[in-house]
Order: sequence, then C-alpha cells, then structure tokens
Amino acid sequence: MKIVSERSASVEDPVLELYDTSVTFSMDRGTSRVLNDVTFDIQREEILGVVGESGSGKSMFASALLDAVVDPGVAQGRIIYRTDAGEQVDMLDLSREELRRLRWEEISMVFQGAQSSFNPTMKIREHFELVLESHDTPKGQGMEHAHELISDLYMDPERVLDSYPHELSGGMKQRALIALSLVLEPNVLVMDEPTAALDLLMQRSILGLLENLQEKYNLTVIFITHDLPLVAGLADRLAVMYAFEFIEIGTAEEVLNQPAHPYTRALLQAVPNLDAPLSEMSPIEGSAPDPVNIPSGCTYHPRCPLATEECRSEEPHFHDTTESHKTACFHWEQSAEALPFADANEYSEQTAIQGSQSEDPVVSLEGTEVHFEDGGGILNIFNEPETVYAVDGVDLDIYENDVVALVGESGCGKTTLGKTAIGVQRSTGGGVSYRGQDIWDARDKNGDVDIPFADIRRALQIIHQDPGSSLNPNRKVQTILASPLKRWHKDMGGDERLHRIHALLDLVGMSPPQDYAQRYPHQLSGGEKQRVALIRALLMNPDLILADEAVSALDVSLRVEMMDLMLELQNLFNTSYLFISHDLANARYLAGNAGGRIGVMYLGQIVEIGPVEEILQNPQHPYTKVLMWATADLEADEGDEEMPIRGIDIPDAKNPPSGCRFHTRCPEAREICTEREPGQFETENEHETACFLVCDDDHPYWESDPIVDETETGEP
Amino acid sequence: MSKNYYLKRIGMVFVTIYLVTTFTFVLIRYMPGGPMDYMVAQLIQQGLPEARARQIASTYLKVNPDQPIHVAYVDYMSGILVGDLGISTWYDRPVLEIIISALPWTVFVMTVSLILSFAFGIALGAWMAYREGSRFDSVATIVTTFLTSVPYYLAAIALLAVFSFRLGWFPTGGRYNPDMAAGMTPEFFRSVLYHGILPIASFTLTAFGGWALGMRGNSIQVLGEDYLRVARLAGIPERDIVIKYVTPNAILPLYTNLMIAIGFIFGGSIILEQIFNYPGLGYYLFKSIETRDYPLMMGGFIVITIAVAISIFIADMTYSLIDPQAEAGDSRETY
Repeated sequence: MKIVSERSASVEDPVLELYDTSVTFSMDRGTSRVLNDVTFDIQREEILGVVGESGSGKSMFASALLDAVVDPGVAQGRIIYRTDAGEQVDMLDLSREELRRLRWEEISMVFQGAQSSFNPTMKIREHFELVLESHDTPKGQGMEHAHELISDLYMDPERVLDSYPHELSGGMKQRALIALSLVLEPNVLVMDEPTAALDLLMQRSILGLLENLQEKYNLTVIFITHDLPLVAGLADRLAVMYAFEFIEIGTAEEVLNQPAHPYTRALLQAVPNLDAPLSEMSPIEGSAPDPVNIPSGCTYHPRCPLATEECRSEEPHFHDTTESHKTACFHWEQSAEALPFADANEYSEQTAIQGSQSEDPVVSLEGTEVHFEDGGGILNIFNEPETVYAVDGVDLDIYENDVVALVGESGCGKTTLGKTAIGVQRSTGGGVSYRGQDIWDARDKNGDVDIPFADIRRALQIIHQDPGSSLNPNRKVQTILASPLKRWHKDMGGDERLHRIHALLDLVGMSPPQDYAQRYPHQLSGGEKQRVALIRALLMNPDLILADEAVSALDVSLRVEMMDLMLELQNLFNTSYLFISHDLANARYLAGNAGGRIGVMYLGQIVEIGPVEEILQNPQHPYTKVLMWATADLEADEGDEEMPIRGIDIPDAKNPPSGCRFHTRCPEAREICTEREPGQFETENEHETACFLVCDDDHPYWESDPIVDETETGEP
Repeated sequence: MSKNYYLKRIGMVFVTIYLVTTFTFVLIRYMPGGPMDYMVAQLIQQGLPEARARQIASTYLKVNPDQPIHVAYVDYMSGILVGDLGISTWYDRPVLEIIISALPWTVFVMTVSLILSFAFGIALGAWMAYREGSRFDSVATIVTTFLTSVPYYLAAIALLAVFSFRLGWFPTGGRYNPDMAAGMTPEFFRSVLYHGILPIASFTLTAFGGWALGMRGNSIQVLGEDYLRVARLAGIPERDIVIKYVTPNAILPLYTNLMIAIGFIFGGSIILEQIFNYPGLGYYLFKSIETRDYPLMMGGFIVITIAVAISIFIADMTYSLIDPQAEAGDSRETY
C-alpha cells in the first residue's frame, strides 16, 4: 500500500487517483487525522456514492479532492487528476492561480448547506455572471448554458435568475446551486451531502435529475452522504467510510446485497425503511472513534461483534471478494453468516400492533383553518395583501396513548397544523378543542370555561427539530429540567426534585445522571440534547407532545434509538405524540409500534389518513404513492424507474390549485379533478382518502377525460 | 396589513413627538430658577439693587411668570400648530428665526463628521477583519478601542488646546471669517471648512472606532459563511469578494445604527459647539439652558426630537429596500 508510484490504477479509466492522502489538523490534544492514508481511484463518468456516519471523514475526502481543506487542516499525499487530454495534474502541488482555474472548470463542488451557499444580497443571475467573468468565459455563451442547465433542472430560467436567494424554496436553491457548479462544464462534480436539508421527495427528484445531467454532460459524480438508501439507487459504485478511511468498496449491487464488512452490515440494519419488519431494525452499538485517538488495528474492532486478537493488533488490508468488490476486514468471509440480514422478501404481511388508545379524543380539530396574510415591502404598499392557505379545513382527532404521524413535503402546512393542534398557533377558522373545551375560548375566557387555559397549556407540549437551539445554552441540564417541576409542583422539595431528574436521566440512558445533570447543552451530543428536550416536555406530564421532525436532525443510526425511547416513555407517562416528519419510514416506525395512524398532508389538507400498515400496504391516494416512491429502498438501480409525479415543486400555498389541489402534479388527474374538490371517502379499517379514485365505478370521475398527456408521464 | 402598518407607523412618529414635547415642556418649567431670576442675578452682579433689577427685568423680558403651567402649555402648543415657536427671552428674536439660521451649521458639521467616521470606520473594519489575528489587527483594535472610549468633548478640548492655542493653526471659534461676506465664493467655503475642521475632527476621531469595531465583527462573521467558501472555490477574485460579498452583508446590520446616530448626533452638538464657540443649534441650546430661555430651549429640543423620530422612521421604512431579505411590516408567521 505504501508503494506509491508503482501502483496500477484499480479502475480502467481513472479520472482521479488518490495516493496515501491524509488530512490532519493540529490541535492542543494532539494531531487529529480526519482522513487517514486513503488510496483510491475514481472511474471517469461513474457515479460514486461515498457513505459514512457524521464524523467519518467523508467531508474531508470531498474537500481534499479539490485541495479545499479549510485552515488549519493540511492535506498530504498525492491526488492525480487526469484531464481529457490525458495530462496528469497533482492537485496538491498546484500554484494558487492554477488551482483557481482548475476548480470549477474541471472539478466542481456542491456543498452541504446549499441553503446558505448564495450571497443573500445578490441575485442568482449575478452569481452566474461573476463565475463566468472570473474564468474569462464569454458571458453570452455562458448564460445560454446556464439557461439550459436551469431548464434541465425543471425550473424557469428567467424567474430563477431574477430572484434573490431567499425568494427560492430550499429545493430550488439546491438545484440553482447545481446549475451554478456546472456552468463552466466541469468533468467532475463532487457533492457533499447536497440534499441533506431537503425533504425526501425533493431529494429523490433531484437525484433523478442528477442522473439525467450526468448522462447528458458526461460527468463524473462523487456523491457523499450519510444516507445509504438515498444513494443506493443512484450510484454505480459505493464506497463506505468508517473512522477516516474506506472499509468497503464495490458496485452498488454488491455492497447492498452482499456487504462483507461488519460495519456495512450494521449500517444497513440500522436504517429505518419501509420493507424490513419493525422488529428487525436495530441501532449500532457504541460510537465512532475520536480522530485524535484512532484505535489500533482495525478501527472498527471496539464495536465489531466479530473482532478477534488479530483485529486489535493488525491493520486489515483490502481483500477482494469479487473482481469489483473489496473490503478491509479479516473476517469478511464469515460476516454474512455471523450477521444475517432479515430477508425483506420473507415477510409479506405485517401484523399491525394493537395500540391502547382511549375512546374519547384528547385533542380534536374540526374544519380547522390557518390563513396568513403576506404583505410585502414598502414598494407593495398599495397592493392587497395575499393570503397563504397554510392549513385549510382539517378534521383530526387525537386520542390518549395515540401516535399520529403527519407526513408531507416542506411547505405543506404540517408544522402549522401541529402548532395549531397544541394551541400555540391560533386558528383562523374552525375549532380546536382539548377534552371538549375549545382552546381559544379558554384562552380568551369566552363563555363557560371548563378547563382553564393554564391546564391546557401544560397538557400540550412540544419538542423541536433542532435540539441545540431549544435548550438555553447558559443553563445546566439540571436547571433546565428543574424549571417545569418548579412551575407545576410548587410543593416539591429540592431534594425530591433532584432525585426525580436523576431518575429520569438514568431512565433515558444518560448515566451517570449526576454527571449529566451538571453539564451544559454544548457538552451533550445531538441525541443527548434531544433526550433532554424530551424529558423536559414529559416533566409537564402532558397529554400530547408535538414532535416536530424530532429525529430528523439525528444521525440515521440514532433515529431508531430515539424513537424506541419515545415509545418507552409513552408507556410510562401515558402521553400521545403528534409526530411530524417528511420521512415515511420514521413515521412508520414510531406510529406503527404504537398502533397509531399516518396522515398524509398536501397543501394544507389531509389527503389520506389511516392505520399505519393499512396506509403503507394499501395506499389509495396518488400522493401517498409518490411519498412511498420517494422513501428510498435499499436496492441498487433497477434501470429507469418512472417518477410517479408531474412537476417537482409544490404549488404556491398563496394560490392553491382549484378542485383537488394535487391535480397539477397527479398522474391520475382527470378533468373533474380540476373543478371538484374530493371529500374524504372512507374505505375500510378507518382508512380515509380524499380522492375520486376510491369511488365506485359509477362516479363521474371515471367518465371524465384524463388531463395528463401520456407522453408526459414518467418525466420528472 | 401593509397599508395600515405604514399609517400606524407614521401615527407613532407623531405621537412620539407630541409626548416628548409635552414631557420636555413640563420638565423645563420645573427646572430651578427661570428667565427672570437669571436676568435679575445678572443685573445684581452689575451692582444694581435687587428691587431695581427686578423692575428692569420685568420690563425687558416678555414673560409672564404668574401664568399657570397648564395655560402656558396650551398657549405654547397652539402656537406650534401655526408655526410659532415663541420669542426668545434672551435674544429677543423669534425662536424659529434663530433655529433656521443655526441649524444648517450644525447639520454641516454633524453630517460631514458622520460620513467621514462611517466611511473610514467601515474601510478600516473590513481591512481588520481581513487580516484578523495579524499584528495590524491587534494594533488597530487597541487604537480604535482607545479612541472610542475617549469622550468627544475631551478630544475637542485637547484639539483646541494643541492646534489652536499652542500651535495657532486653527481658529478658536466662529463659523467663518467675520470680515468676509457670506456668499457662494470659493474663499467663503474655504473659510467655512477651515473653521469647521476641529469640531468635525473631534467627532470623527472618537466615532470611527465604534464603526470599525462593529464592521470588523460583522465581516469576520460573513467571512465564515458558506457562500464565501463557495465563492472562493468558484474562483471569484478577492476584489469581487470584498466588494460584492463581504461589504454589503457586513454593512447591513450597521445601517439601522447609522440612521439612529443621525438623530442622536444633534444632542452631541450641544457641548461641542459650546467648546468651539460655534454658533449652531447646540450653541444656542446651551445658551438657552444657561439663561433659562424657555422658548428657545423648547424649540431646540423639538428639533432634536423630530430628527431622532424621523431618522428611526426612515431606518425602519428603508431597511427593506437595502436588504432584499427583509420585509417591512409585522413579523410574518412561518409555516
């Protein structure tokens, strides 16, 4: 492995070759190696998926490819880039100006956090023009190419170019950034978690577009992500990173179907998905190593069930399992047997778990509406304000010990609906009641108030998506947790309070609790912060907790663990969850294990609701089917899958489509859908769907003409 | 929302001005002494017996000391509505006339020093942020911190002592050379500038450090933003990064401060113009406080109030024009 110059490339036509490449940071407590002697080749015009947990060094790998490691990090080794002309360039040995030219013209990059990748004071057009100007590319020709790229990404070029970044939705910004990175026609595109902040449907749509772009412009794409299922269908080859180096490389099919490294197997097992039985998903034990102190031998040995003496002392080299698949593990031959997978095909019928819901609802919404007015700046002073229909006529009952999972795209109004249900957002129409008492009547002291507002407030709690910003950074965990007790149990003594806090911390696995109680939020990991937020909500002894994307910010392998904890605490505290997620797999896991329901939201309305397995095995609404398609399964590319949706972007909630709101994107839409709004039709098992498709044959829908041009379907 | 919001906002400006005016009126009346007492004291000092002094004062001063405060208030307020700010008791001229003649000079000194300190502070702050951690940065931080903590009137006295009295380079007071006829001649402008340099310098020197430090902090924050990393990777030259990326984004948060500073700077002119014997608004205001010249004092305070209220109003209204992300109006609910 150390013989650099004589190594022959492991792929036929490499575009990038890495030789013993390391990235190091000097820190007070020692040198931190965040990329550890990586030797690797990237094939021209392939799509390479690089997968790893956060802190596995995958972002450093991405930065190193462009020699763009941020100070004070240092990249060492050799990274050879082969131009189209066959010239070889060492990326780490270039002058500033050479590097400036090479980046973006030859190798381009799309970052994590595309939401902040544009200068907020400049229009998108200026960004394109500046990049063209900086590389002495003729503007006319360059902008023409920009137009083409933006249309390739299913957006209106003029509209996008004339917008400021904040005027675009997250998905549009992301696509604009991809267009910007391709405007100089590079050969290689490095993408570092490019879709992490987007909802699943948008992620899947962008990936579909990316595949088209790759073919059209002969790109080499390096797609870096923590989300294995996401990239599974896209990548030609997959490379798994653990502890700052690659541990398994192979074609996507081989890595997914015959993973040889124990870590890859554990990773696949830990991902919530729609296929595996609920009982088979399990988190990975232990935590990833510290870059200052990488374990000797195989870096995975402390967490590996197959580890032997050999693993602890000797560093494993790559073993070829097949011609195109290799893994760095001594026990690769035994791993399949020792760590078996649940075969997804083996089970077909998922038995629904019986919940323990009550008869009477805790919270019920009746025809609830939330409309906002959107004003605009001083220039629009004389225009009528526009109305945003965030929630538009929703009926929903939530019972005791219930879990209702709301799923839908960003901007469909699910968070507003959630906030309305717990009485922090005032509804502008319809009613919201808690145990029969209208929440806002109680608040305004209208008429006879049976339950005072203070009690309602206590009974309805929330945990936010980002645990980091929902905990006061200047308060210790103990103080944070003591405040609800002080507020609601005034007679409780200090010792008793402390005892209760410690007991709860211990219960959620934060031990020793005395130690954790003394910490500040920044001294906790993301998962631990979210647990503290959960305990804080539970200390109010609430009847309903709104969990708004509560697990989305956590690493994939931690999500199952967090949801298990939520379920355990539900039994203990008799509480209900209104769980909001854009991810059907998470919704299924949490709601499914409590015998709850899934509600699918689209543009302010619930279009389908019913028991979890009923919805997933028998989805009726075309939109639900779209969401299921977007929830990636762990399978390699099966050729050109058709996108079951027309149009990528959700329509503006200021001006929702007439009739059925989904008709503009629905593959099944007929003329009648543009005029008539479908009501909720109940099929069986409390399964309700707002779509004419579930109606009998004599419904006028079946007589109506389809509005979808046949040639148009399948296109994203 | 929008139309009503602006109407409400304009209404608030008027309410603010009205309330401050009322409050000032009452406070001024409760200051110990009055215009009468001041004049009497002056006359007694000149050797006149008290009874005689009181008699002379009451003939010369157009005040009615026995008028109850609420009547005086109604009189005064109704005067304002028709643009009558009363007659100065000390100068015996209409207050409006004094303010009109004095205000341009104050505006001149204050705007020039504000523009200078802002421009210089922004440039220095951006430069410091660029060289963050360097020797230049540390030295500049120390110097700016020191200058910011020096009160402007102390700087004024020091400048006056050194450059006017010791070195004799600059005049010790006045707005322009009194031998010269005021007019649109280059000589006149040169004289105005010559007389204005020290007051402008004492404000600029003590104010630019604050802008520089603010700009430095903002710039460092912007330099760490994702879009800067993208811009650098995309090979955008450093010049464009400074002009189009860092500066606009770092200045935005300072804009509101700048507008508010315009209002408050009038208050600062009171002492400054006294020190430099510079007959602007502040000079007359100081004099009116000394002589308990109620109408002049009120007039001065009203001008300052209006300036502050309008500056803040403009800052509020125009922020959305310079920052594409901001929308004027009540905060919008997100969903």
